[in-house]
Amino acid sequence: MLKVAIVGCGKIADAHVSQIQRIQGCEIVGVCDREPLMAKQLYERFPVKECFTDLNALLNEARPDVVHITTPPESHFDVAELCLEHGCHVYVEKPFTLYADQAQRLLALAGEKGSKVTVGHNDQFSHAARRMRTLIGNGYLGGLPVHMESHYGYDLGDPSYARALLGDKQHWVRRLPGKLLQNVISHGIAKIAEFLTSEAPRVIACGFASSLLKSIDESEILDELRVVICEAQTTAYFTFSSQMRPSMHEFRIFGLKNGLVLDQDHEILIKLRGNKFKSYADKFIPPLLFAKQHFGNAIENMRLFLARDFHMDSGMKYLIESFYGSILRDSPVPIPYREILLTARIMDAIFDQLNSSCPQGDLVLQGHSFRRE
Amino acid sequence: MIENARRAELPSQQNGQPAAHLSKLRINDSFIVGRDERILVTGSTGFIGSRVVERLLERGFRNLICFIRPSSDLNRIEALRKSQPSEVRIELFKGNLLRPADCELACRDVRIIFHLAAGTGEKSFPDAFMNSVVTTRNLLVASLRHARLQRIVLVSSFTVYTNRQKSRRLDESCPMEEHPELRGDAYCYAKVKQEQIVKDYGKSFGIPYVVVRPGSVYGAGSEVAGRVGIGTFGLFLHLGGSNAIPFTHVENCAEAISLAGLVKGVDGEIFNVVDDDLPSSRQFLRQYKKNVRRFKSVYVPHVVSHVLCHLWEKYSQWSKGQLPPAFNRSRWYVDWKKTRYSNEKLKLRLGWVQKVSTEEGLRRYFESCGQGEGYA
Repeated sequence: MLKVAIVGCGKIADAHVSQIQRIQGCEIVGVCDREPLMAKQLYERFPVKECFTDLNALLNEARPDVVHITTPPESHFDVAELCLEHGCHVYVEKPFTLYADQAQRLLALAGEKGSKVTVGHNDQFSHAARRMRTLIGNGYLGGLPVHMESHYGYDLGDPSYARALLGDKQHWVRRLPGKLLQNVISHGIAKIAEFLTSEAPRVIACGFASSLLKSIDESEILDELRVVICEAQTTAYFTFSSQMRPSMHEFRIFGLKNGLVLDQDHEILIKLRGNKFKSYADKFIPPLLFAKQHFGNAIENMRLFLARDFHMDSGMKYLIESFYGSILRDSPVPIPYREILLTARIMDAIFDQLNSSCPQGDLVLQGHSFRRE
Repeated sequence: MIENARRAELPSQQNGQPAAHLSKLRINDSFIVGRDERILVTGSTGFIGSRVVERLLERGFRNLICFIRPSSDLNRIEALRKSQPSEVRIELFKGNLLRPADCELACRDVRIIFHLAAGTGEKSFPDAFMNSVVTTRNLLVASLRHARLQRIVLVSSFTVYTNRQKSRRLDESCPMEEHPELRGDAYCYAKVKQEQIVKDYGKSFGIPYVVVRPGSVYGAGSEVAGRVGIGTFGLFLHLGGSNAIPFTHVENCAEAISLAGLVKGVDGEIFNVVDDDLPSSRQFLRQYKKNVRRFKSVYVPHVVSHVLCHLWEKYSQWSKGQLPPAFNRSRWYVDWKKTRYSNEKLKLRLGWVQKVSTEEGLRRYFESCGQGEGYA
């Protein structure tokens, strides 16, 4: 029986505990939060053995095999380091750490201690995302990707919601190097990082505050970001937007032969054929083939629902289960360390550029500032 | 206006007797604090909180501290502040109840706390809990440090009741939800735990408290739908039928809350707040359609809604949460069981009188809906 502990008893901890409950062969031996009331509420609502307010007490008394770190990002490094020092395997919620060098040190420490590490990029393990990975693994693209596009929407809603979210000038999100962006973009960046081959691709970032944020006099937070990522044979665009509609989470990947579109919101995977039909047939047949694919996705989603395998956080369950499996069987972790590190490096590069200059309302592009019209 | 308000026109109560005969007493005789004592109102820019502040000012209290979030809309409270004479002090304290230091500052020299701030409308249990329970604990701890508090008024909700008693009458003696975590409603969980922590501090540290449980608070800009039914796929499922809706107009609710904080001899008491002459769900729906807008609705008999809630609950368990337990029997009892509501205790112990009649309240509500301010 794998002994699991949760550190940080906020909103995302609920999702972790709910998914862990669905996995055979593990038990939650402790939950920990510096705020005793928060630790107690999680302990009361789920089958958990003990609750703690001190991390050392949790590690020494409950002696977990795996610790899920669901605290705010600022503390990820310190908490993960302590857990690894105690010989635990750790699952760190996204973003993995604040800086790439912290990520590197944690992964090195895990290597020294013989522990395993993963990060909460569960979007990459939804049913549709796994189907996409299988197709790519089977050579559907016809080689390395030529180009990728990752869209990550974040609906701030109306000004009153944005004001409520961003109104607190002491909110921990503001203390992150990349502020709001740092807390949310890693899902979209990691999708690109998975298919890059170099260790340090070129990154060009452009960020600005939307008119919505300006209307509520928000001066610190950027909520619009465009990124170009380049390496020898592959390029990628990353778009983060609070204003674009639909507010979508989509990944497109194009190879030498074919392409794929993954719609995370609707769990749809569409194949884009590289070959064309002749003459007018190319206007008539592809729409029918697309309709067939969409119908197939709907049927698959319904099948999964009827089979009780279509939970909202099914990607998280799969990732946790795979991580636990890698611990028990000493097999490769579900997210390669290289990918964790590359995601952190790309994010570092983005925030370095955004923070290098940037009075409010300016576009930031590769360290240079351009006044918007 | 202030001079007039010095004469407490408000009935009070002592020794369990009806309070009408005390209605001519001055503030200092009938209330637990004088008009210059410091009174803290959390959630003071909210739907109910802003009206509580108005009630207190009308009664001549002139040393108020309004705890507000940095992101709050201050238009209403600023307008109120500007309209007051110079001797009236309304301090706007921008802070976060999750920060003990903010609570400590806000509670300094405070005699009464009207605690209305809470996590509302949140689906997440931890968020609702944190914004209701942790914040309340912070206020209680800060009050203990200053040791000046004479009463904290906690504004809770009908949601804390199980409503599974044999009688159809719901009053303050009815049992609370013992396992709110099973209802699948984060708000219910947070409110039950919030009441528990106030009662625990009252018992352990002697902090005097009063709990106020309003029914469905309505007024311009409010939402009413839940107890009437559910809008789904373009069709409104009418679940309330002939059930009375436990309405309390926001002005009436604010009146009850302000009295709960001021009237002597009610420490440790709980008060349900509902108006008189409650309309049935069917009557409300009919009037809404007539006065605001027409839409298709289908009545779902109580037996059927109970069975559907039961089935949803079972499926949620069987599928291990593939569908969250949003509908279940516990919720059915609270929202859709045929129930009669009592405000006897409110009238008897606090001398509460309904200021806005239900007919007038609904007329105003429908009018505001027509202007796009509210919705059902």
